[in-house]
Amino acid sequence: MAMLTAKDFATATPSWWCPGCGDYGVLSALKSALAELGREPKDVAFISGIGCSGKISGYIHSYAFHGVHGRALPVATAVKLANRDLTVIAAGGDGDGYAIGAGHFVHAVRRNPDITYIVMDNQTYGLTKGQASPTSATGYVASVSPDGNPDTPINGLALALAAGATFVARGFSAQPKQLVAMIKAAVEHRGFSIVEVMSPCVTYNKINTYAWFKEKVDDVTARADYAPADRLAAFDALTREGEIALGVIYREERPTLEDRTGLPALPIAKLDITADRDRYAPMMAAYR
Amino acid sequence: MDRRSAVPDREVAQLIVNSIEVMFGGQAGDGSLTTGDLIAGVFKRMGLEVYTYKDFPSRIRGGHTNYVIRAGERRDYGMADAVDGLVAFDLEAVQAHIDELRPGGFVIFDNTSEVVDGALRRSDVTWYEIPLAKIAKEDLGLELVRNTISLGVLGALVGMDPAIMREDVTAVYKRKGEKVVDLNVRAIEAGERFVAEHFRAMPSGYALQAKADGDRLIMMGNDAIAFGALVAGCRFMAGYPITPATDILEWMSKQLPAFGGVVVQAEDELAAITMTLGAAFAGTRAMTATSGPGQALMTEAIGLAGVLEIPVVVVECARTGPSTGMPTKTEQSNLNHLIYSGHGEIPRVIVAPGTITESFELTATAFNLAEQYQLPVFVLTEQALCQSKATVKPFDLDAVRIDRGSLIADGEVVFGEYQRFAFTDNGVSPRVVPGVPGGMHLAAGSEHNEAGVITENARNRARMMEKRMGKLEAMRDDLPRAVLHGVADADIAIVGYGANTGPIREAVDRLSEAGVPVRFLQLRTLWPFPDDDIRAFVGGAHHVFVVENNYTGQLERLIRAVVGPLDALHGVRKYDGRPFRPIEIMEPVARVAQAGERMEIS
Repeated sequence: MAMLTAKDFATATPSWWCPGCGDYGVLSALKSALAELGREPKDVAFISGIGCSGKISGYIHSYAFHGVHGRALPVATAVKLANRDLTVIAAGGDGDGYAIGAGHFVHAVRRNPDITYIVMDNQTYGLTKGQASPTSATGYVASVSPDGNPDTPINGLALALAAGATFVARGFSAQPKQLVAMIKAAVEHRGFSIVEVMSPCVTYNKINTYAWFKEKVDDVTARADYAPADRLAAFDALTREGEIALGVIYREERPTLEDRTGLPALPIAKLDITADRDRYAPMMAAYR
Repeated sequence: MDRRSAVPDREVAQLIVNSIEVMFGGQAGDGSLTTGDLIAGVFKRMGLEVYTYKDFPSRIRGGHTNYVIRAGERRDYGMADAVDGLVAFDLEAVQAHIDELRPGGFVIFDNTSEVVDGALRRSDVTWYEIPLAKIAKEDLGLELVRNTISLGVLGALVGMDPAIMREDVTAVYKRKGEKVVDLNVRAIEAGERFVAEHFRAMPSGYALQAKADGDRLIMMGNDAIAFGALVAGCRFMAGYPITPATDILEWMSKQLPAFGGVVVQAEDELAAITMTLGAAFAGTRAMTATSGPGQALMTEAIGLAGVLEIPVVVVECARTGPSTGMPTKTEQSNLNHLIYSGHGEIPRVIVAPGTITESFELTATAFNLAEQYQLPVFVLTEQALCQSKATVKPFDLDAVRIDRGSLIADGEVVFGEYQRFAFTDNGVSPRVVPGVPGGMHLAAGSEHNEAGVITENARNRARMMEKRMGKLEAMRDDLPRAVLHGVADADIAIVGYGANTGPIREAVDRLSEAGVPVRFLQLRTLWPFPDDDIRAFVGGAHHVFVVENNYTGQLERLIRAVVGPLDALHGVRKYDGRPFRPIEIMEPVARVAQAGERMEIS
């Protein structure tokens, strides 16, 4: 097969995002990363949630799954268990991952299946026209919080770290080169990798704009002494007031869910399920 | 229910042979379940047909629990009309169940620290009072073995085979070591000795005559379901523990890895069902199992399975609702939920086994239907069947065929030509799975066109609805047919399903033997509703009884929707969390029959 390019992952479907949406940068980086990694579209299962960001599965030429709100991770986990030969990527927004899907998020993290999760964080609910999201700042004024969002924003990556994440990274959709490298590293990581991407909503979020992010982002990997194997340093980087750490913030190797469940090399989906006939009759002896 | 008025007095002198229902009553966690299983095993090895029913509280230690073991000569029955022998480990067990005892029955009571007097001390039953706990503690050194002593007592009173009892006790306690086996064998002996020394002049009125065991199994409904799934090729299960479905998850977690498969204990039922969808999307036969509360959580994703045309099997082990209800008790109140739950309309199938054998067979069938028609299939069972054990013939493994429908797991398709949701005559489109070259597409819960591209086009929407819903008609011939029991041309007809199949069959047999012929239609597919079978069955009947375990008559309403207003349609409903006893079905039928013609209930 010839060298893959980002175009090999393009679909004929036109995108439904607003012009200037940060999700374009994520989409473009994903396609480049997959091409550079040489993953063929037929071997990629791309699972997304619901919301503006959830639409991304329709724009990646692959085996794409656009399911119910908040449940991309259990679907992706099971796709990987059923066929470990596939490259499995889940994606969605901050609402999909940290609100309605928060329960699945921590459990997917602690299971450590060899999948990649892209969270496109725009700090608002876009498709329902601009309500506060779990990552919106306290005081954020929105249609359902006219007096300001009363809640404290969730720190998704710190939460992932606390739940036992083995690969934690954050990118910015306006920094495509770094994002491509980050996604490649995430997909190549053996285990659960999360890449949270700051992906501004140009329509509803007038606070967390491209300009706002550019002021705050801080590439930790540019620091000479930064060690991504140091969990406490990672916590520190993720929880610093007024700074948004970028880069691969934490990584470690740990047995994956597939390892720990003793999954054989042959994908379950490729088992010949008519082949075990002779093994069933003796099982009835236990009931005699 | 008070059985004293419902059942005519029996001549105590008449020996009852090979027909007994024993109830073990005590506190949860005291080992009575193990002993109950032992008794069931001994009855089975003595050649009798066995049915067991667990009536235990939703707690681990303490609280009244009882285990019913019925043995007889006919297979596929459920509970008897009444309890013959109550083994009561405390006064609470007597208080709770003395009214369920058949006149002429007996009570084995542990009188170590409690006494039974007053109205509780029924004079029409035989009392065997034994200080079980005292003997266990003082003579054998462990109070827990009072269960096994009671086994010895029961065995001596009703004629259980002493050699089989010892063999089975040895087999059960073998893994705990020789000392424990020896202790339990001595406990049996202590029980037998007590009967010989104190009750020689007090026959129980019951006797067992051993026959050949033959080639039979004794199996729980949930095990049969799990085994059926395995044989059908299910290699992925995700579930969240919930009574009374957890047994299936446990069984699969023990067995699937050896077959290359995997079981995931999910964080909740939302994950369990979406994992099941994910595995099925990837090409694996996949299932989940749950009960009412979990089923409610799975509703949205089952709609997704319908619109994505993903084959999934969902086992619902129904319990008493709503909300937490009575988690360890039985009910048939989730039928409406399975048929109607969900926003929007999807095709779905509900099959309902009525026996342990059907639990195996229909589960295997469910996997074929799911893949042939690419939709969610429910296997609906109830606590009174799925957690009950019964004797069955070995399953016919060769009869299980695997039909994966139009699955394209190998080979390739041409990108651009291949359409995952192509319109076809029967609504079923060729299905690729990830990894197949050329088959890349979007599977979207949003409405989509044949290629999978999201669209809100009106014409496409209408056609897609017709494609998906049309499968329900296309599949009619492949659905498990209703089974006709009893006297085919009888004027009196009964309709029922699931765990009630056993008690209804017994009621039908006994009524027919008493001169009131009855026919019984056991529904095995509940959705799509078998309109034609119902119409044909009800036609010509003078009276139709719909027997079900719920308050509102969910099945009866479905039948009324088919046959229209019918004065002669009677609901026989029970919603106290307990399964029907045959007399509870016979009585209302007999009342109606007697209005025209005299009859006797046997």
